[in-house]
Amino acid sequence: MSINRVLVYCLLGCAALLYLMPLVVMVITSLKDLDEIRSGTLLSMPQALNFDAWDKAWGSACTGVSCEGLKGYFWNSVLIVVPAVVISTVIGALNGYVLTKWKFRGSNLFFGMLLIGTMIPFQVILLPMARMLGFLGLAGTTSGLIMVHIIYGLAFTTLFFRNYYISIPSELVNAARIDGAGFWLIFVRIILPLSVPILVVSVIWQFTQIWNDFLFGVVYSSGDAQPITVALNNLVNTSTGVKEYNVDMAAAIIAALPTLFVYVVAGKYFVKGLTAGAVKG
Amino acid sequence: MHALKIQNIEKTYGKVKVLKGIDLEIKPGQFLILVGPSGCGKSTLLNMIAGLEPVSNGNIFIGDRDVTHLDPKDRDIAMVFQSYALYPNMTVRQNIEFGLTIRKTEKSEQKKIVDKVSKLLQIEPLLDRKPKQLSGGQRQRVAMGRALARDPSIFLFDEPLSNLDAKLRVEMRGEIKELHQREGTTIVYVTHDQIEAMTLGDVIAVMKDGEIQQFGPPQEIYDNPRNQFIASFMGSPSMNFIPCLVEKVNGTMQITLESGNQKVKVPIKQNIKGLEAYAEKSVILGIRPEQITQQGEEKPDSAMLNCDVELIEPTGPDTLVTVRVNGVKTVCRVHPTAESKVNKLMPLLMDISKVVFFDPGTQERIY
Repeated sequence: MSINRVLVYCLLGCAALLYLMPLVVMVITSLKDLDEIRSGTLLSMPQALNFDAWDKAWGSACTGVSCEGLKGYFWNSVLIVVPAVVISTVIGALNGYVLTKWKFRGSNLFFGMLLIGTMIPFQVILLPMARMLGFLGLAGTTSGLIMVHIIYGLAFTTLFFRNYYISIPSELVNAARIDGAGFWLIFVRIILPLSVPILVVSVIWQFTQIWNDFLFGVVYSSGDAQPITVALNNLVNTSTGVKEYNVDMAAAIIAALPTLFVYVVAGKYFVKGLTAGAVKG
Repeated sequence: MHALKIQNIEKTYGKVKVLKGIDLEIKPGQFLILVGPSGCGKSTLLNMIAGLEPVSNGNIFIGDRDVTHLDPKDRDIAMVFQSYALYPNMTVRQNIEFGLTIRKTEKSEQKKIVDKVSKLLQIEPLLDRKPKQLSGGQRQRVAMGRALARDPSIFLFDEPLSNLDAKLRVEMRGEIKELHQREGTTIVYVTHDQIEAMTLGDVIAVMKDGEIQQFGPPQEIYDNPRNQFIASFMGSPSMNFIPCLVEKVNGTMQITLESGNQKVKVPIKQNIKGLEAYAEKSVILGIRPEQITQQGEEKPDSAMLNCDVELIEPTGPDTLVTVRVNGVKTVCRVHPTAESKVNKLMPLLMDISKVVFFDPGTQERIY
């Protein structure tokens, strides 16, 4: 191993340590009790494995007036994320399929306008969307929030699928048409089986976006229907005298676990899917 | 009785006319070649026959049915694509069966068809492989198998050999021809390769700028091109075009050829009436490389010319010699044993009996 190699690995190791530090602090803090936190330093190890803070964050910490932990809100988030991710991904795939393989007059213009959707900041649509939800009778409901996430995500999922499908040769669709297959059959039998990498990209992207969303959650949902990010905020801001850092840390980790999990499981497809089509093999 | 009839087909994209009124008719069992340089509209025409692109104007008949506005699936056709377009997620067997399954052919019948087709094309050992595990030639065979399985009334081929290497291309070309002879299928085949056109076709339609320039059997097109474009496009190396002066001497037409400081007056014994109008004017003489050979037995209608050799290219069976006649480069096909040296004079024999003449302005043939 040359000296350069050693240097490179040292540098990489240091960078990794630096980036991991906050997570390490969070994990060890969540495992300490309050006395240890007060007496020790930030980096001192917990004396014993102590999951009390996790228990409390999950089941009995106070988020505002109710003291039932994050448990309920975790499932709220799941209920919001799963349909929003599935529906926005499916529609995005169909959009991409139509925009590349069944072009219509003005389809490029349509795609161009859809792209603008990727550049609209969240804050801009808050008020009009609130009016819209009120008009539809969905204000403050979970379905309303799901709808907002689907609409907002469509621009991104369509972009992903359209750019992926453009590299699938149209001759494949033509061959299937001559074989007698129609719009849906071609999509299900020919296009979807080729879409695994980009499906993974879309799911990861949408999952993290929607799971981590705070703004839409806090604006368009209320009370018991709020997502976990809003609940985490409430939990940290609700104090009864003492600041329970260990519970805050545990709650934050709980809120972040699903996205971490998704990246670990499907991360390598993410990179593969993003670069697919960029280089023609 | 016709297998395919195309009536005044037009295609316009906005203001651009890509096909300007095509008329064609072929009989059952005929092998039709659409050939032309890229951008001539041949692939568009094929896609319109397939139903993949809407027709702007005109009618298409397959057999007695007007299919102009039918879906591809209702036209009773099968197509082989340039990129083969095999379904990547399916095995070879599934690829061949796909169209049959959609058409609700019975399972036992499907098996019979797959067996027959795979035997015919010798792809039996490949049936359980995925397309990406196949070589180019194998993919080509599977693509043809998929088309054959459907037993359509017309096969459409869209430049099917252009993705193969030279050796395989010649091999597959032979196989396609053999298949056509054995099965008696009707085929429409698009290519830009004039050798493929010559070797495969029963009839050739040479296209340029959205129009059919000439339609006829390969030899007819080779020997009697209607204009200079067809003459230069068909044949490799291409026909020589030599500008020369026409004179009328004692009632016979005569042209002047000059090479290596030597002028020869050559009488034209062919009966070309149109040539009289060009007396004392310049025309384009069209002569194929194989009509200029080394000195040998003199034929009744030939001219001898001593030419300065500029380039020698041996190809094996014969040698291509480039000389200069009337100031233009002229390629001659001579026997490899014929003695020739660069910058030396070489006596060459021109067979005048088959030469053709073109108008230098319109480039149309002078009959």
